[in-house]
Amino acid sequence: MAYSDKVVDHYNNPRNVGTLDKSAQEVGTGLVGAPECGDVMRLQIRVNPETQVIEEAKFKTFGCGSAIASSSLATEWIKGRTVEDALAIKNTDIVKELSLPPVKIHCSVLAEDAIRAAIGDWKKKNGVAETADTAVAAQ
Amino acid sequence: MLNVLDSAVPVECWSCSVAHNESTLFCPHCSKIQPPPGGNYYSVFNLQPALNIDLAALETAFHRLSRKLHPDRFARATASEKEWSLADTALLNDAYRTLRDPLRRTEYLLKLHGAEIGEEHSGKDRRPHEMGASRAPADLLEEVFELNMQLEEMRAARSSGEDDPALARNLSEAKAKFEGLQAEVDHDLREQWTAWDNGGDAEKQAAQKAMVALLDRRRYLSNLVREVNETMGA
Repeated sequence: MAYSDKVVDHYNNPRNVGTLDKSAQEVGTGLVGAPECGDVMRLQIRVNPETQVIEEAKFKTFGCGSAIASSSLATEWIKGRTVEDALAIKNTDIVKELSLPPVKIHCSVLAEDAIRAAIGDWKKKNGVAETADTAVAAQ
Repeated sequence: MLNVLDSAVPVECWSCSVAHNESTLFCPHCSKIQPPPGGNYYSVFNLQPALNIDLAALETAFHRLSRKLHPDRFARATASEKEWSLADTALLNDAYRTLRDPLRRTEYLLKLHGAEIGEEHSGKDRRPHEMGASRAPADLLEEVFELNMQLEEMRAARSSGEDDPALARNLSEAKAKFEGLQAEVDHDLREQWTAWDNGGDAEKQAAQKAMVALLDRRRYLSNLVREVNETMGA
């Protein structure tokens, strides 16, 4: 099966590979995996507490080319977005952008899961501070 | 692969014309070899489809049928019979290898009952919350991630000709842990076998669901252990 040019590009030049300090208050970490193929994906975000904008995003993925490309693309897309905006990203957006074939759709699901998990972790950590703000923003 | 659960379709023996069950390799009436049969791997051995099976009986039947199918016995037979002896032998070997292995047997019988296992249920566009049982075991993720980091380090060290005993020790420990988890899964599977074999429809369904999840976990663990072996052996 041939990978699309965009997948190959992200695979060869992955954006935002790396690690953020897991214990930092403003960092959220999402760790997800797929049992069928053994892929495991860690996605981290650093969120500005004032603006709730994701200022930095890093990932580390062990898996196939599509899984690496999906998470690389995910970090590119969420950087500069607010947390709530980032939650609007759907796996189908990733499928379209990377032209993933049906058998690789679960890679995009994994990337969406990773975004949600990272944001969820950040929300949990900052639970007290965020409630008032996001309650308004969510309406 | 034979995949028909209900194998009671009668066929006529090509030689004596007496009707017999389609799954038999030899005509019960005239003892002549038959073309590769329909039905399933269990029916080849005249076994009831179940997860707990008598392995000794399976082995005895396999050896007995193997001898009966040996090409030497068909040296003076017709061209068709020669051909069937080869085809039947291939089928017998597949059936034996599948039923003898606890994991393959479980997968095979669940598939006969329409379960989707492994890759078959992975590629579909399901929403994350619907993926339910096929999610990676959350309790393992941290360790799996850590293991992958160590493997990557190990490969890098190996390719630059270095030897890192501490890293090798960590990997061995991780491998032992994952092998222990495999043994736990195997134990849990065996418990479900009994529930499946003896239960009614509701129990069967619950056991089937549990086993599909256990097989996923088992495959996940096997892949990890294999990767460690490949990296350490490299």
